[in-house]
Amino acid sequence: MVSDAADGPDGRPDPNDEADTHAASADATGPAVVDRWTALDRGWQALALGLGIVAAHLVGQAL
Amino acid sequence: MTGVAEAVRAYLPGLALLAGGAVAATLVADAVPGLQPLVVAVAIGVGVGNTVGVPDVAEPGVGVDKLFLETGIVLLGAAVAVEEFLTAGPTVLALVVAVVGGGLLFAEIAARGLFRIGSPTSSLLAAGASICGVSAVVAIGRVLDARGADITFAAATILLFDAATLVAFPLAGEWLGLTGRQFGVWAGVSMFSTGPVAAAGFAYSPEAGQWATVTKLARNSLLGGVAVAYSLAYAARSAADPGVRRLWAEFPKFLLGFLLVAVVANTGLLSPAALASIGRVSDALFALAFVGLGLSIRIDDMRAVGAAPVGAVLVHLLAVSAVALAAVRWLL
Repeated sequence: MVSDAADGPDGRPDPNDEADTHAASADATGPAVVDRWTALDRGWQALALGLGIVAAHLVGQAL
Repeated sequence: MTGVAEAVRAYLPGLALLAGGAVAATLVADAVPGLQPLVVAVAIGVGVGNTVGVPDVAEPGVGVDKLFLETGIVLLGAAVAVEEFLTAGPTVLALVVAVVGGGLLFAEIAARGLFRIGSPTSSLLAAGASICGVSAVVAIGRVLDARGADITFAAATILLFDAATLVAFPLAGEWLGLTGRQFGVWAGVSMFSTGPVAAAGFAYSPEAGQWATVTKLARNSLLGGVAVAYSLAYAARSAADPGVRRLWAEFPKFLLGFLLVAVVANTGLLSPAALASIGRVSDALFALAFVGLGLSIRIDDMRAVGAAPVGAVLVHLLAVSAVALAAVRWLL
């Protein structure tokens, strides 16, 4: 099984753009998260979701 | 986070369609004794996909079905008794390697020799039938620089068999009187795509579903090695695409998640209530995924598949499943 998304761009912002204002970076947080997520191979997405669900259960039983 | 909300909004209609199908499947299965909800989910998907169709607005959300399937498999790790699988592991792994290797060679010979199918279509069919269905067709198609039409043709042939075996294997298993483990391993080494293998397994019994999925994952993990072997055989790749990189690129990453969750669950870190809850989440994800699997089965597309590829894949399926059946009855 391979994922539809290729292992390619990782969605990281260009370091040259770090001089942007705080307001602009706050606005870009959403799209940056979306871009990073969609750039992930589907297998990594499934792994992250699955481990996240298990981690939530571990936290839930510890509380 | 408005960007996240906007991105999610595009997926909502399709997700609602999958959720509606999954809820309907659960209600129908609860109302009719003996019906498995996951099988009903596939049937509802097939029914909707081939009558009403999937509206364009729902396409993005419906396309998430494979992510749900793979996440459900990761969580299935929590239900796996590692000790039991380690005991049978070497036998099952040896069977998987033998069936994939032998099946690839046999499929190539049958397609080229008996049915006069040229390359790379013969190789696409062999990979799809021997490793992991449509995903393998696409991956090997990329390695061999196959034309889009060849890939579509081979993928349609594999999908036709996915639909047929999803119904035929559980019926055959009942008729043959196989145990859950025997059926799961048999389906895991013989059937093609991961979704139908898991669906057929769980249609048979929960134990068969686990064995079918684990066996199929072992088979899927060989895709990288087969891709490297094909690239060497066809000499279609340059030194810029080294074997190890190709092996890793084709490796199913969610398999690592499955193994991690299995280890966590078997160390006793999770309470029985947490394990039961994770099982319910996994079941829900499988139900969503199997509605999507049904929606992707288009009967019209399958009518366009030619007789020669169907003949070649049928010969392969009959030979491999007969050998695998004899092996699981003898070994397990």
